[in-house]
Amino acid sequence: MSKKPRQNKNVKHLLMDNSVPLMFIVICAICIPLSGFSPSYLINEIVTRLGRNLFLVLCLLFPIMAGMGLNFAMTLGAMAGEIGLILASDWQIWGIPGIILAMILSIPISIFLGYICGTLMNMARGREMITSYIINYFINGIYLLVVLYMMGPIIPIMHSSIKLPRGYGIRNTTSLLNMRQHLDDLLAVNVSGVKIPVLTFLIIGALCLFIVWFRRTKLGQDMRAVGQDMEVAREAGIKVERTRIISIILSTVFAGFGMVIYLQNMGNMATYTSHSQIGMFCIAALLVGGASVEKASIGNAFLGVILFHMMFIVAPGAGAFITGDSMVGEYFRVFLSYGVITLALIMYEAKKRMAKSRAGRELAEAQVKKEDA
Amino acid sequence: MKAKTRRILFSLLLVLVLAAVAAVMMGIGRGHTVYFDNKTLEDYQGQEYKAFEKVIVTVKDEQVAKLAKRDRGMSIWIGQNFKMILEVTREKGGESEIHEIDLKLPYSVDGIVINLPALLAGRASWAWKTAGAISER
Repeated sequence: MSKKPRQNKNVKHLLMDNSVPLMFIVICAICIPLSGFSPSYLINEIVTRLGRNLFLVLCLLFPIMAGMGLNFAMTLGAMAGEIGLILASDWQIWGIPGIILAMILSIPISIFLGYICGTLMNMARGREMITSYIINYFINGIYLLVVLYMMGPIIPIMHSSIKLPRGYGIRNTTSLLNMRQHLDDLLAVNVSGVKIPVLTFLIIGALCLFIVWFRRTKLGQDMRAVGQDMEVAREAGIKVERTRIISIILSTVFAGFGMVIYLQNMGNMATYTSHSQIGMFCIAALLVGGASVEKASIGNAFLGVILFHMMFIVAPGAGAFITGDSMVGEYFRVFLSYGVITLALIMYEAKKRMAKSRAGRELAEAQVKKEDA
Repeated sequence: MKAKTRRILFSLLLVLVLAAVAAVMMGIGRGHTVYFDNKTLEDYQGQEYKAFEKVIVTVKDEQVAKLAKRDRGMSIWIGQNFKMILEVTREKGGESEIHEIDLKLPYSVDGIVINLPALLAGRASWAWKTAGAISER
């Protein structure tokens, strides 16, 4: 008799915990038939977008591990990746070597920016997400200064195809045509019309293995301890600030790599804007996959990218079918995507407060019982 | 102290390895746009090299240009060791001949223009032109 209410409670908890991905699954299930796309087209698009975005989403796991929430400052790594790509393009290093060179060039910039970001976040403990969001704007200003004014007179840029006609600064769009999909095409396999970028997936797999391995290392364990309770971790002899900075540096460096993978797939780079939305998209994708501010897994990243990008693909088509205007579908997608971030953050805060008040109530009850006794 | 020294050494080694990989990438990944001219080169060091009737240029098993007189073709190439196959018909109605060409492209030159008649006449190793100036290697 008592089993049924417990089962109901478990189902309720399961639904509550996975409400965001479930909501997206339902919406996608409704939109897919309305959009009119063939299954092979959808699979092709999803596989392409998995290869393009997954690496970037996975780099968000490190700060979550260290209890620093969603790292909006992953954009810093994206900027470093873009600088690497600009330099590799200017030096005319093409194909896979160009991609590897851009990644290597991004490393010192990412480490430097990650260190600054981590240090600032340590100063703003407890408000990491909003701090990282604002750091993103601050560093964007510096990026503009470097790319728009310093590239040319201070940082030598030789090719006029990259440089602005005035003689300094980089053009609004940088062509990556000579690197376009070189990584994706190298070991690509075609399975009934679906192109599978095997090498890109192998690189993503290597990052997944690295994350799994890293969690088991001393540093990984320290990060998790810091994420659970900073004061307890400090008492246990863990260098809390250093550990937090390392987590941000790791996230920023991998974000730089991820941006290079992302842009080589696109084949061109909007020099001043392509990094600005990337943090938001990746965080939205991770949250759609069922992650929260304090808990995220590789599975969440995979599910999130699939569902979030499925929404990207089918929403305009579904909107066009329902209203006759594909722009409505696009508005709907934007509204839903950012609504998810808001909803997930509100749910996280509400859960945290509920847990806190429950703990307080239990403590008060225990004290009353103790006094009665 | 020992652990710290080991960490510093490891970091230095990592930096060196990354620098070495970057240097290798810069070497093997240098991209070139190579142009082929089937044009008469007049009075070049006292000689004239006449354009061919037809030249078919094949790079990496792909036909990249079919050049009549005064035509220019192009191909992109990654690395310094450029290879191409030329199928040359010297005169109208004549037999075509196949030439396999291996060239070492200069690292610092962009937009290399190769004059095919001069190249096949065996001018030094090859003739090339960049930014309007004709040079020879």
